[in-house]
Amino acid sequence: MSVIDRDLLIIGAGPVGLYAAYYAGFRGLSTVVADSLPEIGGQISAMYPEKPIYDVAGFPAVKGRDLVAGLAAQASVFDPTYLLGARVQTLARGEDGVISATTHDDGIEIRCRAVVISGGIGTFTPRALPVGEDWLGRGLSYFVPALEAHAGQDVVVVGGGDSACDWALNLEPIARSVTLVHRRASFRAHEHSVTRLRATSVQILTDSEVTAITGGDLLEQVVVAGPDGSVRRPAQSVIAALGFTANLGPIRDWGIEVTGNRHLPVDTTMSTNIPGVFAAGDITDYRGKVRLISVGFGEAATAVNNAAVLIRPDQALFPGHSSDAAPLEPATALA
Amino acid sequence: MPYVITADCIDVTDRSCIEECPVDCIYEGDRKLYINPRECIDCGACEPVCPVTAISQDRRVAAEQREFAKDNARFFTEPLPGHAEPLGMAGGSAVVGPLGVDTPLVAGYEAVG
Repeated sequence: MSVIDRDLLIIGAGPVGLYAAYYAGFRGLSTVVADSLPEIGGQISAMYPEKPIYDVAGFPAVKGRDLVAGLAAQASVFDPTYLLGARVQTLARGEDGVISATTHDDGIEIRCRAVVISGGIGTFTPRALPVGEDWLGRGLSYFVPALEAHAGQDVVVVGGGDSACDWALNLEPIARSVTLVHRRASFRAHEHSVTRLRATSVQILTDSEVTAITGGDLLEQVVVAGPDGSVRRPAQSVIAALGFTANLGPIRDWGIEVTGNRHLPVDTTMSTNIPGVFAAGDITDYRGKVRLISVGFGEAATAVNNAAVLIRPDQALFPGHSSDAAPLEPATALA
Repeated sequence: MPYVITADCIDVTDRSCIEECPVDCIYEGDRKLYINPRECIDCGACEPVCPVTAISQDRRVAAEQREFAKDNARFFTEPLPGHAEPLGMAGGSAVVGPLGVDTPLVAGYEAVG
């Protein structure tokens, strides 16, 4: 098991976690950000990357994915370590105040002095395709981390949301063929994406479902049942973008007080009942809590600054103004 | 700030919304489905899939449906017939399963026309 030593562990790379990563860097803390999803942006990336958001201070309107990109760029100045596709499974605080966490596949141990849980609505799990689950990793996937992996392939994308439509659009120029299968007549995705899709060579099969996947060692063919019966299509890749389910997941087992099966009560420092374990964003709970992104950003700053004092008791809670700090060039590592 | 299911769902209970909900907060009564307002994250995934357009944001519900909008909450905050305690934050529709009972408003509802 490899070990990562940092001052601060941030659990959840959604907007609040990313902002916490910026703030931790600003406070001079070394930071690792873990998320069970393979991409940053949390709920925004998973569910509404195309939605305009109107209540982020200073932005009359900002598209979800643009906000995520901006937050990542802001944090990148301090070069945080990202552990994506890594669900934090265990977390325990030793008597020496060192907090140890491990990831779900037992691959990595993270040792830190404080934690900020910006876990939103919990761990996202991709919705499984009703058939062919055993093809996972042999042609079936839930994400497209690298478009080039599908160059020259026949790809079948399943789903009707933004992710399905985006992947179909982006794969079309490089894949041999792209088929989009959606079990309803209308798409949930942004209208603009659907209009663009219809102008491409992507074959769109609505009111249709993948009923079988066949092949040898690797995936070779899918059967799609639609209004006019079943059709067979050659496919080396099936990308199931059927959305996500979320729940608190392993956080329940860490000895942290949980209310309503969903939320972590915090005090005014954003600390949970475990010393050194803070929370910020939609996951927190206290009297008067308002679950909005703008509130989450404020909580991230409160949590990180209080964590900074806990880690280095000689430091002040107030970080100083960012405008007084020397300007920093964005790190190139993440560019 | 949640989404709500109005009277149009009564005796339809298509359940497509349940399949879409990422947080499993749509619960099944006898004649109608109900969204738990404290578990709903306002994502809107359920709205477009309802075949009878029974779902909308609570703040956009037509005047004649307001009582049914509020009734979503009652399903969770008041004990249902045969239950000693309210459901509360039940932790997921899949965990609880179909309840087989409705709120008094829905149980006593008679279709007009």
